[in-house]
Amino acid sequence: MPECTNPLWPCAMTGAAAALAGFDGITVVIHGSSGCYYYPATLLHAPLQGTFIMEEEVVFGSEKRLLEVIGEVSTPGTRVAVVTTCVPSVIGEDVRGMLASHDVILVDSPGISGDFESGYHKALGSLAPRVDDQAPGINIDGVCLFDPFSAGNLRELTRLVNNAGLEGSTVLCADTLDSVWHSSPLTIGTNSDLASGVGRMLGGTLGFHDLRDTFEKIGDREDRANIGPVLQEIAHKEEHVIQACDKYLRRFDPPRAVVFGWASYAGFAASALKTYLDADIACVGTRNPVLPNVPFRSEQVNSLSRVRELVSECRPDLVIGSSFERPVKPDAAFVGLTPPLRGKVRLSSPPLAGTEGTLCFMEGVLNACMDRNRNIPTGA
Amino acid sequence: MRLNTSRFEGCTLTGALSVTTAVSGSVSVIHGPSGCAHHNFSLLHTTALEHDGTDVPQILSSGLLENEIIFGGEAALERALAGAASLEPSCIFVLSTCIAETIGDDVGAACRVDRGVPVIPVPTGGFLGGVFEKGVNNALCAIADTAAPATSDGTVNIIGEKNLEYEVEENHAELVRLLDILGLSVNIRFVHNVSPDDVAVLGRASFNILRDQGVVAAGDHLKARFGTAYHPSFPSGLSGTLRFIRKVGAGCRVPSRAAVHDEQAVQEDMLAEFSDLSGASIALNGARAPSPAPAVAREVAAALAMKVSAGGCRVPVPLSPPVGTAGVRRMLHRWRRMINA
Repeated sequence: MPECTNPLWPCAMTGAAAALAGFDGITVVIHGSSGCYYYPATLLHAPLQGTFIMEEEVVFGSEKRLLEVIGEVSTPGTRVAVVTTCVPSVIGEDVRGMLASHDVILVDSPGISGDFESGYHKALGSLAPRVDDQAPGINIDGVCLFDPFSAGNLRELTRLVNNAGLEGSTVLCADTLDSVWHSSPLTIGTNSDLASGVGRMLGGTLGFHDLRDTFEKIGDREDRANIGPVLQEIAHKEEHVIQACDKYLRRFDPPRAVVFGWASYAGFAASALKTYLDADIACVGTRNPVLPNVPFRSEQVNSLSRVRELVSECRPDLVIGSSFERPVKPDAAFVGLTPPLRGKVRLSSPPLAGTEGTLCFMEGVLNACMDRNRNIPTGA
Repeated sequence: MRLNTSRFEGCTLTGALSVTTAVSGSVSVIHGPSGCAHHNFSLLHTTALEHDGTDVPQILSSGLLENEIIFGGEAALERALAGAASLEPSCIFVLSTCIAETIGDDVGAACRVDRGVPVIPVPTGGFLGGVFEKGVNNALCAIADTAAPATSDGTVNIIGEKNLEYEVEENHAELVRLLDILGLSVNIRFVHNVSPDDVAVLGRASFNILRDQGVVAAGDHLKARFGTAYHPSFPSGLSGTLRFIRKVGAGCRVPSRAAVHDEQAVQEDMLAEFSDLSGASIALNGARAPSPAPAVAREVAAALAMKVSAGGCRVPVPLSPPVGTAGVRRMLHRWRRMINA
């Protein structure tokens, strides 16, 4: 990445920590300085360990310190996973060699090696997930501690899978370590930017259209499935959204929106706004590479300066994004979609996936737009 | 785990940024991987939101990747500095990271190039440069060196406020209230939402009040540069607040007897609001040495005839001691909530 003003997305080390820390049975050790440790520790709200290396270890090597910490945090029944940061990588330490005689998972994903997603995928790959053809149920994919919707997504998809007469299988990445090696052959996704590649991906669950398609595929492949109740719920809940949006459009013009976030989430949000509110999608800015064939103006946006330029150019009255985007156009309606979502109290765990996910998202959009419209004088 | 305190005291870079980003209109250039910049920008942005601020810190990363690690990152720093200058900032701060220090880039040379705006290098190096507190002091000293000595005008500087502290504005308001009853006014908040022009008058103050012992190095630096004496901490607790009034009064050569008397009355009224807590049994939760906060908490408990015992209701003790009488009041509201829960 070239020089960048106010970078908006975490590094590979954070992505690796987010993937590993989601699993019970793994103790994650950040091998680096306290500065590198504290960010994922506060962001992920998960128990992480650190080696907190100092100048002494940079000069004389960090092996002693790393092994000391591994010895201290190792407990029966858990495996230690070491995530490397930039400094051990730059000084060329042979961390793999240091750990050769230890039963430790090593993920070499320093910040300089890439972005959040690359670290996440590398960490997940280091666990060598395996499909067990006899494992029942459906894997739920793309559940990540960094994602403010992950807990809600997991709860919602578990509910829908259960309503279809099935059970959830491995949750990637929020499960036991053992479950990673006994995944079901079938998988449904929440956030496709974090797709694991484990099992046969039947489809996504963002938006009613994809959700319907995915559950129809579940019905085709699982004899035990009874997807009727889920399809009925989808039709019923989508009608709720249509009615609420239709009522909104009786009084107000469609919003002109800019959307910033993970490519999959941003695509879902833009499509929902277009479908139900006939919104003008002025621009979609993705934190990670843009997905192919997106029917909106899209570009990868990783700096706050570019966000400001796009917002200034597009003049939206609705901004969808993170707490970084929220203050950029304070007179616009804002709905949170992208981490971090800070500066507001969040106690509940709303989903973005499933039927409830679309309901929550559109509910947020309608309320934010109506609140904004009430504050704008008529004719303004 | 074996305790080595300095391992856990955070990054020099974060400490320095908590100061440099509080200079309005400035850009802080971080010479290192963009991840370092993101970590810190995310923290500072969150803090700004929690302080109801609208100004977002301007942080520009040189975005070091593996290529620069191998072949050197000075060209990337040069591009970042050119980019920062194009934003027409009030000044540019240049901060290195442990990565830049490890590969040995010459940050100082890039800072000596004339770019039409002041370019101020701040010695940081992530954990190689020290700890969070060291970064704060380094930044304060670097910024202080941009100001020239001046004739004292009887005002007071506030030095080294904890800009990441959730209640930083409330603590400042309490300090100003106490200074006001001494008839003293504030010259500048060094450094909290000030411009380079504000910094230029730093030397005018007759007395400095440091946030806490952590910025004594900066206090000493200011004393050497401007000859300004200092008080080493904000007021904390009941007797501590009265003692603060006396000491600052003496330092500024203004009478303090009436101010102490008035503040005693304020404290008595405040304690009377919490008379219902008298006799309650409490355990001090989070009381850790070497912070003076536990001692303050015990003093407050004694003033209200509360019993401190391990089996009592666990009440929170803040990491930093409560500032002034208003800080004690807020702490007592939290205690009452716990006791009545």
